[in-house]
Amino acid sequence: MRNYFVFLGRCAGVAFEGDWRYYAWVGLLSVICLLGLHAYCRQFAQGLIVTGMSDEVSWGVYIANFTFLVGVAAAAVMMVIPVYIYKNEDLHDLVIFGELLAVAAILMCLAFVTVDLGRPDRFWHLIPGIGQFNFPKSMLSWDVIVLNGYLLLNVHICGYLLYCRYRKSKPGKWFYIPFVFIAIVWAVSIHTVTAFLYVGLGGRPFWNSSIVGPRFLASAFTAGPALIILAMQVVRRVTSSASAGVGWREAGGAPSPPPKRRAASAEDLVALTRYLPEIGTVPMELRQRLLPMAEVLVVEPGDVLLRQGETSDKAFFILRGCVVVKRQEGGRFRITRTAGPGEQFGEITALDGTPRTATAFAEEPSLVLSLSAEALRLLMQSPQVERIVRSRMSERLLITDRALMTLRSIVQVSMLINVFLLANEVFKEFYSGNLHVVSSKYLFVGLEHHHALVPWIWTAIAFNLAAMVLLILPVSRSLKWLNVTCVLCIVGIWIEKGMGLVIPGFIPTPLGEVMEYRPSLNETLVCFGIWAFGLLCYTVFLRMSVPILQGRLSKENEGAPEPSHHPPAAASPRR
Amino acid sequence: MDKPPQSPARPPAPPAPVMGRRSFLRTSAVLTTGLAALAASLKPLLEMNDFPTMQRFLQKYYKEMTPQDMDKVLKRIEEEVKQEYGLRPHVRDLKPMDGVEFVYCLNLTRCIGCRKCVHACVAENNQSRDPEIQYIRVLRLPDGSLDIDKADHFYAPESVPEKGYFYMPVQCQQCKNPPCVKVCPVHATWQEADGITVIDYDWCIGCRYCEAACPYWARRFNFTKPAIPKERLNPDMAYLGNRPRRQGVMEKCHFCIQRARAGRYPACLEVCPAGARKFGNILDPNSEVSYILRSKRVFIQLKEEMGTSPRFFYYFDV
Repeated sequence: MRNYFVFLGRCAGVAFEGDWRYYAWVGLLSVICLLGLHAYCRQFAQGLIVTGMSDEVSWGVYIANFTFLVGVAAAAVMMVIPVYIYKNEDLHDLVIFGELLAVAAILMCLAFVTVDLGRPDRFWHLIPGIGQFNFPKSMLSWDVIVLNGYLLLNVHICGYLLYCRYRKSKPGKWFYIPFVFIAIVWAVSIHTVTAFLYVGLGGRPFWNSSIVGPRFLASAFTAGPALIILAMQVVRRVTSSASAGVGWREAGGAPSPPPKRRAASAEDLVALTRYLPEIGTVPMELRQRLLPMAEVLVVEPGDVLLRQGETSDKAFFILRGCVVVKRQEGGRFRITRTAGPGEQFGEITALDGTPRTATAFAEEPSLVLSLSAEALRLLMQSPQVERIVRSRMSERLLITDRALMTLRSIVQVSMLINVFLLANEVFKEFYSGNLHVVSSKYLFVGLEHHHALVPWIWTAIAFNLAAMVLLILPVSRSLKWLNVTCVLCIVGIWIEKGMGLVIPGFIPTPLGEVMEYRPSLNETLVCFGIWAFGLLCYTVFLRMSVPILQGRLSKENEGAPEPSHHPPAAASPRR
Repeated sequence: MDKPPQSPARPPAPPAPVMGRRSFLRTSAVLTTGLAALAASLKPLLEMNDFPTMQRFLQKYYKEMTPQDMDKVLKRIEEEVKQEYGLRPHVRDLKPMDGVEFVYCLNLTRCIGCRKCVHACVAENNQSRDPEIQYIRVLRLPDGSLDIDKADHFYAPESVPEKGYFYMPVQCQQCKNPPCVKVCPVHATWQEADGITVIDYDWCIGCRYCEAACPYWARRFNFTKPAIPKERLNPDMAYLGNRPRRQGVMEKCHFCIQRARAGRYPACLEVCPAGARKFGNILDPNSEVSYILRSKRVFIQLKEEMGTSPRFFYYFDV
């Protein structure tokens, strides 16, 4: 337990560390948060009269944002499916980022619901057992349960996995796999329940349509992964550009001289055992057989050990010192990780013969054990070694382009379904031509003198269609176009699902009165404040989790100066 | 060959536990600015309309109060009203009577659209005057159509009635199957034994889900603190009826529960100059409403297809 608090304390410490861009970003978000808080305090004191809402349109942008964000939260966790069900390793680390996004999104959802309440001071009436909880009749009580349950589930899963990564221990299956599967079902349920909030109201024909639930899921699966694609590239940028300037010897020209090497001895394996106790389980006979195929490299800072794009059958274990692994992506280099004593690199190429995905070079004077593929396989005949090597291979923090492309295909399919379902709804409304079409008419073409939403919904449709076309075309395989597409998806769906679904349900009123709605400045500020709060949470979550996933923040370096004192990549040689 | 940038010797590590003067100054500057900004953003709370006291915050749910609890709460409400309006009201907690189920009948042939009921209701039920909350909305419809999308809510002719139109006042229909009760997450609104759907104004959290659920647009929300001129306050009050509401809670027509349960007619009925409104106990075969529902061949339950089964019936003189 104490360990866990040390862990939390160190995470919190990391949240306050960063370079000037981090401080600027966090500072900006904090200012917007406070502006929002100020606006909310005005609303709390004077009542919801400071919003644009009325008895005619009694829900506005708060509930619209809430609806959108429940979708984001649901979709973020659905990343889990390819990883745990289809074993798609590309998305492995994205799962944690996805779940952290879900946590941030749910916090925003809860904030949006709270600011929408007329009497937030009576929140305790909602607590089951203490207040009066109208469960299971009221869909809102279902929402209270599923949202809070979802928050707990995700906090548990992320917290547990990150803590294990921090301790470098293998997560106990029973502590998280069952929860992961519950979370998958739960994710569908939170969005379905939110759809039922609307669908269940017989007096509002615009909402009272069974397609709303499926539409919600489809649009969530479009906007959620799109948001993750953008967020992950930001993470990638930030972790890479801060380390720009780190170079290796041949960055400017001639290749480095071959490193000094000597034959490996049994003592070297014993030395490795200090950091990698699993080696101790390798039988003597195997050790004798593999030693001739191993050698020890004595390297100086800047010496290249392996190079991106090459093929070779060598795998490496670090005996002493530190090695940095960098990847070249479109003219930039980014550090994928920093490896210390006992850690391995190059084993993927050695084992499956694919070209090196990155370049590794020494950061400090180091001793590196180099093994041929055959020697590595001999070593891995010990089940313990096999397990640790395999698990490390898979737990690398790699937001690879392949992972982003997997997300792209999720967005692609979902957007097609979303547009299809929207078309279904439009057809049903307009072709049948019954009296209930009036809300849709208001939304799509406007009623006389009233067409506030018309430009919005057509913008949304244009964005969605443009995104759909881009997603079908191969051009969205390039990151630049993919980003444009993601922005189109997010904005399009935010309008379609938020403003385009919540507001027209109220117009006209059940008595046929047409009263338009326009959010007030105060209401808008509150919304910005909550979004800033959510982004702030997500930023801090990422700030804590990235060093843990990269192995820079771990139990081993407890008490040592925080790795973020030279932010954000520990690899900077200018210490 | 480029040498990687390197410092030949590491600078001595700063003594970690002692905070340097510079960083101390910086930290305290950041902290002070942060706290000042936080205080500034909380400032609007000073102009709080309606600060919840501990007693009000912890008040029990209506159905869980013992008669003693209720007495205390009624006393407190009287005290609060007296402080605010300078007039000691009489607040009662009237219970439904056995063998009574209230029903409202409205004669569309007779209604002349004068809106006297709207204003009598506001006066009787202590609704906010600014912004004005009205429970009754009178719709003007062209003769021959009940399509309420064609209704005019804001008709303002020199005199009523007008040729070619008929008028339909709509208020809470006191449904037998009320969607608003079903959706309330905290049981703050429910149907009483005499058929009246009531709200515990001190329990409502103001989520406005009931307002979205109501097919008759009968519910109203207090978007700010209700403003009632002192001299206009009706001192004859009921807990579930016309006692003054607070900011941020729902309210709606309750068939003037403070009158109906004391054997009087609702205010809208008493004021009606055309005699279009009838009210009474449907369980009593000799009541006027029983007679109307027995003898009229056609009467209308608004939006019958919703399955809400209103206790509010529109009929014609045929």
